[in-house]
Amino acid sequence: MASRSSIAELGNKLQSLPKPALYLILFLVASLPLIKPIPLPNSPDPASIDFYAHLMELPEGSKILICSDWTNSTRGESMGEMDALLRVLMRRKIKFAVYSIGDGQAPRVARETIARISREEGGGQPLYKPYEDYVVIGFFPNGEGQTAAVNTNVRAAFAGKTDISPTGQREVVQSPVFEGINSLADFKYLINVTASSTNTVILERIKKTNLMFAVSGVMVPENTVYYASGQLKGLLGGIKGVYDMETLMEYGVNNPGPHMVTSAAYGQIPGFPGKANTGKGTAYYPALHVCLSVLILAVITGNVGMFLSRKGR
Amino acid sequence: MLPIFADLDPHTIWNAPSGSIELVIKCMVALLLGAAFVGICFAIPSQLRRFIIFTATFVSGGFYILFYYFPAPIARQPLDQPRNVLEGFSFWLTDAQPIIATISNTIGSFLIGLGIYSLMRVHLRKLMKKQKDWGYSLVLFVSMLLMVTFGYWDYFDRFGKDGAAMAAGPAGGAWHFQQYANDILFDGFFQQMEAGMFSMVAFYILSAAYRAFRARSIEATILLATALVVMLSVMGAVVYQWDEGIKALAHNDPGSFLNNFKLDVIAAWLKDAVQTPSIRGIDFGVGIGLLAMGLRLWLNLDKTGGAV
Repeated sequence: MASRSSIAELGNKLQSLPKPALYLILFLVASLPLIKPIPLPNSPDPASIDFYAHLMELPEGSKILICSDWTNSTRGESMGEMDALLRVLMRRKIKFAVYSIGDGQAPRVARETIARISREEGGGQPLYKPYEDYVVIGFFPNGEGQTAAVNTNVRAAFAGKTDISPTGQREVVQSPVFEGINSLADFKYLINVTASSTNTVILERIKKTNLMFAVSGVMVPENTVYYASGQLKGLLGGIKGVYDMETLMEYGVNNPGPHMVTSAAYGQIPGFPGKANTGKGTAYYPALHVCLSVLILAVITGNVGMFLSRKGR
Repeated sequence: MLPIFADLDPHTIWNAPSGSIELVIKCMVALLLGAAFVGICFAIPSQLRRFIIFTATFVSGGFYILFYYFPAPIARQPLDQPRNVLEGFSFWLTDAQPIIATISNTIGSFLIGLGIYSLMRVHLRKLMKKQKDWGYSLVLFVSMLLMVTFGYWDYFDRFGKDGAAMAAGPAGGAWHFQQYANDILFDGFFQQMEAGMFSMVAFYILSAAYRAFRARSIEATILLATALVVMLSVMGAVVYQWDEGIKALAHNDPGSFLNNFKLDVIAAWLKDAVQTPSIRGIDFGVGIGLLAMGLRLWLNLDKTGGAV
């Protein structure tokens, strides 16, 4: 039988694993799924199903407004959300306008993402034309005032702002995207893809149209409150939200099959089988699994160490 | 009401067609007037300066208070006319807000200039006097210069008449040296470093959780168990296996009590019954605090930060 001192010693050892070892383990386990993708079963969250279903319910030719407030610091999650959102919009021929209130770099990152997805969806050629099918309006440093202006008079809020068109620089409010847009209510949704606190700025000020958010993982608890109250019509949260969207794009909702996604709230909603639906969600979700597993194991190890240490005293 | 702060179309004193000479002249005049105003503010006594800042803050805050609390027109159509003075004021507030927002956006943009000025002042001094770590200041200046040069060079090309072809990327063949240079600097270096910085958080979280997340008390144990359930609930593979196990135990009966022990059901209960009310409570507290802070700033009761 082990003596009390040896139990305490083991406990102490378990409590003081060297930091470099922990870092190395995390690095290795996070890298492995990126090298060898692991298909994982998934049950999309109701909030993600709502997000997808509302996009799929939009009539073709509808217009939506996107507030893109992410940059590459959260590209693992936000870029995946943006990719999935853009794929659905382009497949449904929905025009969109993009603006930013969170970060000066965000419009450029959004512009590059749109161009990339447009090429991928168009089989190498851009499916969506700048200015004709989408406009990138730019960055507004005063997020609060600008968002209130967007709600008050969306044309006045964006008046004077220009974007690249086939004939040079032109005012965004003259673009085909703004045809028939006289009020924010003419945009079917305002979707905020964000990794910062712009979600609350929008939530507090936008009253004339429906809201949906695509947020980073750490922002999910805060935004679940607004989804639960019905203020948000749909919510994508972190890499799980991305994987949910990719699952939904592949299988749709309530479509019979081995991977059927069920929802009592909706009838049959088609997916886009055969198209390039997998992306960052499929690539990174396994990495999230193994990283969380390491985290849980580390916490358990530390606690076991603490108990052994106490027992051995 | 006066057309000031209202109606962008037709154009008023506050705007002009995009890219026009009129707009450039207005911008230059505004810049000169702004610089003169800042110069005057430096020259006048601090008491008077404080009064100017208080007045500007009070008027700006007052506008937004009126904008949010004064009854706004409902379902107003573009050709609607106010029927009395109060309605006229309400219409004016609504029309003026986007213009006020544009003005505050413009002022906000100048903060970037202020930041650059401050940064250059500190690092230029360090570089000139060759103080400790002056090499980092040199790197900062070189990086800033390169980014500004190639950023603007690329910007003017992209927003020129051939900009649409450039937006398609290098495959379109319209890229020149400045586009490639800007791409390497922004996407190749800057964005990757930003992503790298953020990814390091994972290592710190692991280390901190391992050392600090201990079941030392009843409260800590509850927190630990809850965190464990929530973490497991975002792991699809674990949820799937666990829930399949519960389904088998319940003999696939949807009315079975055992279904309450599915991982996604437990996680949903935690979110709906524990997390949501807690966050709502915190939000109310934060809201009241912000209201108090806003009032202090608006009424110039906040004396911290030294004399202005």
